Amino acid sequence: MSDTDAKEVVKDVQMDSSGPCTESLEKTQPWSYTFCEFEDESQLKVIQNMIDKELSEPYSIYTYRYFVYNWPDLCLFAMDGDRYVGVIVSKLDMTLPGVPQGYIAMLAVDEAYRKQGIGKTLVVMAIEAMALKDAAMVVLETEMTNKPALALYESLGFIRERRLLRYYMNGVDAFRLKLIIQDTGNLPDTDD
Amino acid sequence: MNGSSVVEPPDFQAATAAAAAAARASSSEQDEWSASECGFLDPEVQRVMRSGSAAEDITQYPMHGWVDVTKEFHDACAELQPGELAQDMLFGLFEAMSAIEIMDPKMDVGMGFDKQDLPPPSFEAAIAMGAIKLDDLTPSELIGIFDALFSCIVSWLEGNSMDQVLFTCLYLHAPSKIKDKALRVFCTAVRNLIVVIKNIIAGAAVNEEEDFQLYGNSALLGAEKAQPATIFGSLKEVEDELVRKSKQLAAPEDWMAVVHRLRFMRHLFQVIYQVEQMANIESSEETMNEIYKNLNVASELLPLIRRTLDRGTQPEKGSEAPNPMGFSPRIHDRSQPPAFPRSIKIRDRPASYQFLEEMVTRFKYACKVIRHKDYYSALNFFIEYSKKSGQCILSRSVLQSLFSANIRVAHGKQPMKQFLRHSVQIFNSPPVLNTKHPVAADPKVQQHLENFFRYCINMNTFTQFIRICGFNRARQRDKLARLIENFDTIQVDAARLDSLMNQLANEKAMEGNEPLSTALKHSTHFSTWVLYNCFRAMFIFLMSGFELELYAVHEFLYIYWYPYEFLVGFLVSALTRTENILLAQEEYAEHQSKIQSNSGSGGAAKNRKAAKPKKNKKQQRPYRAEIVFYHALLSLCGGMYKAMGALTKDGRVRLPLSKFDNEEIRYNRRFLPFATLTSPPPVSYVEFKNIRDHMMRPSAEELYSYAAKHFDQARNVLESIQNPDQEMLDLLQIARTNFVVMNVLARGHQKEVKRQPEFDFSKHNYFPIIKLK
Repeated sequence: MSDTDAKEVVKDVQMDSSGPCTESLEKTQPWSYTFCEFEDESQLKVIQNMIDKELSEPYSIYTYRYFVYNWPDLCLFAMDGDRYVGVIVSKLDMTLPGVPQGYIAMLAVDEAYRKQGIGKTLVVMAIEAMALKDAAMVVLETEMTNKPALALYESLGFIRERRLLRYYMNGVDAFRLKLIIQDTGNLPDTDD
Repeated sequence: MNGSSVVEPPDFQAATAAAAAAARASSSEQDEWSASECGFLDPEVQRVMRSGSAAEDITQYPMHGWVDVTKEFHDACAELQPGELAQDMLFGLFEAMSAIEIMDPKMDVGMGFDKQDLPPPSFEAAIAMGAIKLDDLTPSELIGIFDALFSCIVSWLEGNSMDQVLFTCLYLHAPSKIKDKALRVFCTAVRNLIVVIKNIIAGAAVNEEEDFQLYGNSALLGAEKAQPATIFGSLKEVEDELVRKSKQLAAPEDWMAVVHRLRFMRHLFQVIYQVEQMANIESSEETMNEIYKNLNVASELLPLIRRTLDRGTQPEKGSEAPNPMGFSPRIHDRSQPPAFPRSIKIRDRPASYQFLEEMVTRFKYACKVIRHKDYYSALNFFIEYSKKSGQCILSRSVLQSLFSANIRVAHGKQPMKQFLRHSVQIFNSPPVLNTKHPVAADPKVQQHLENFFRYCINMNTFTQFIRICGFNRARQRDKLARLIENFDTIQVDAARLDSLMNQLANEKAMEGNEPLSTALKHSTHFSTWVLYNCFRAMFIFLMSGFELELYAVHEFLYIYWYPYEFLVGFLVSALTRTENILLAQEEYAEHQSKIQSNSGSGGAAKNRKAAKPKKNKKQQRPYRAEIVFYHALLSLCGGMYKAMGALTKDGRVRLPLSKFDNEEIRYNRRFLPFATLTSPPPVSYVEFKNIRDHMMRPSAEELYSYAAKHFDQARNVLESIQNPDQEMLDLLQIARTNFVVMNVLARGHQKEVKRQPEFDFSKHNYFPIIKLK
């Protein structure tokens, strides 16, 4: 599968994980921010800069184009005024005939804007957009050392389905996370 | 632009046609392009063409007459937004991610070089430059090279590319050109070692891409033919020469340090070589003894070597080379497949010898597999070995080779079918498997048995279980999930065999053949054996999720619930049933022998017969220790289950509060491999929910004290075990600590602060110490 090679990163997006055990989106929703979809080429540089800054894993320009031009509606930005402060890059395709599967490829939030729920909002918006298009499940990979990302996805109901040893170029293990939206029963795994 | 139009054929065709037209314009003199000009001589393109089905179309492409589509091309381009690309149908995410942007230091290997950098010297160039010596190396130089090469071997075994670690040593490129005998023989040994290790790992086939890179620069390796059989002798010869030489010296220590390294290599090489040869050897016991002897010598040499590390030349500060002379770290950078530069870390020398020391210990442990002559104890051995040696691919492969060079051969030349038959007999001794049994020769019975064991072999389930234990821990879980599903058909077959045996016994009884029918009296021997192994696979699968950190804290509740409520109980009852069967058989045999001795022979025989069962009585409780241990695990699972219930009720567990979350789906996903089994029947989410709701009815404080009781039970069981091993002691500590923590919480400690506790799995992979923050 080609999409197993896409890598995922989140840095400290999640709210303080030692905080109270109940947390809801409403409390932390950053209402002062606006969110928008990918519109044109000028935003590509923005994505590249935000992702490159956070990632050890390099992505060629083709990877960015592959996602944003095929699924511009699944590439979302968070903005503070006219400043880009967060981005999510994802896709939705048929990995199995008749089973649309969402995939979150990249997620990043500007360091100065973390712990405000921006990342979570972006993920929720992307999943909602996928769900509207009948996504049966959403998958992604994340570094096992990236605790904030793991906490974020877990709070949304993702499970860590598999451990991928030495998945990243820096030798770090990854988890494959999966959120099943429609219980399709005994679906074979598409990512082996 | 939306997704679909990116790959819309007109755009794509326009773009490719226009490119062809443009190309034609630039080379107007030619009617046709030669294959090389189309890039078809490029080896990469050729490889793609050979493997791809679309290759035919591409070959046709330059042969036809060209049509000028410049205008169409420009028109098509006008439809594109700035920055937009026409996308080839075959250019997907994989291609996009494999693309390398030239000049980007994260992607372009060449960016690691400075303008002033000289090309890395090859073996010949290094000789010409005088950068490497071929003769009269000093002991210090030899020690430096040997130690660096051991570091390279270790780094290779840890998953690095052979070219980027081992073959950065120029001496390995052409050892026959080395004049210094010690260096030549050592380098030849390393090259042969590489070949033999590769054979073992390929043969064992428990490697995955993340474990080990099987392929490397075969051209370099092929240049001098491997002759593993001669290595031991030539190492011995050069050792003897050096020992004689050092005796004439006033300070022989440096040369003896060289000798120790050569000797270590000799014994290590011999071990690996003999392991590889196991498949072709008649008497495996004898070879195993040889291997063990060599391992002992090797492990005695390691402390001597580690004490003399400082006698060798040391790597230069800031240099990537593991030794100042003989290494050219970047020599293969340009021959690597086009991929992003991966950082290569060669282990330092002390850490490398540490690795080798541990590896030798693991090999010694692996040799003990020969003692395990039945499936039950062999599987136990493999499971334990994997826990201790799961990280080292060579150790895992060596065990596989030692156990069965061929999957159908266990312990030498015993066919696997025979091995399984023997194993069932050892496990719960079905009467029909006893050769002295009156019906053992019955062709009908024999046919049924033959069919069953052949089926076991064909399904490969049992052999596969052992093999899976050889994979790395993360892959084991994936493979176990599939294995568990396979057990179902074998269960059905085993149950059929059991009922056939019972039927046969009844038929004999009808015929009035009472003794035969009693002797045939068959219980659920075969199904119990199959089920027991299935339960074990299920238990390991479920609990491995803790080790791999796959479970979120809020999932702990249902994960611990299943073994507490069902799985461990199943295991205990399978073993208890087996012991009871064995006991009943024993009593019957005793009864029979009494009848015989009373009716027939004299007093002496009577005494002899009476003594025998007494001795056997002890053997008939072979699963005592395991049952006791499972009782401890049962209490620990129960403790964790109720602790999680209490913590959840107390508001101390972070729960997903998302509209996308669905506990039922998560539950089903976690127990998915069990869903296809007939036995044990799958437990639905609704059933689980009812049981949990009932469990969680009492107050949080009460629940904490129930959990404490379970931990206390676990403690009692574990304390009752004589000669506990380290795992039991660790579990004991976990049980004790959690008992205290649960009692503290039951008394209302930290009532106002609803923080999620920490679950510390550092003592045990399956059970955490609960820590309040």
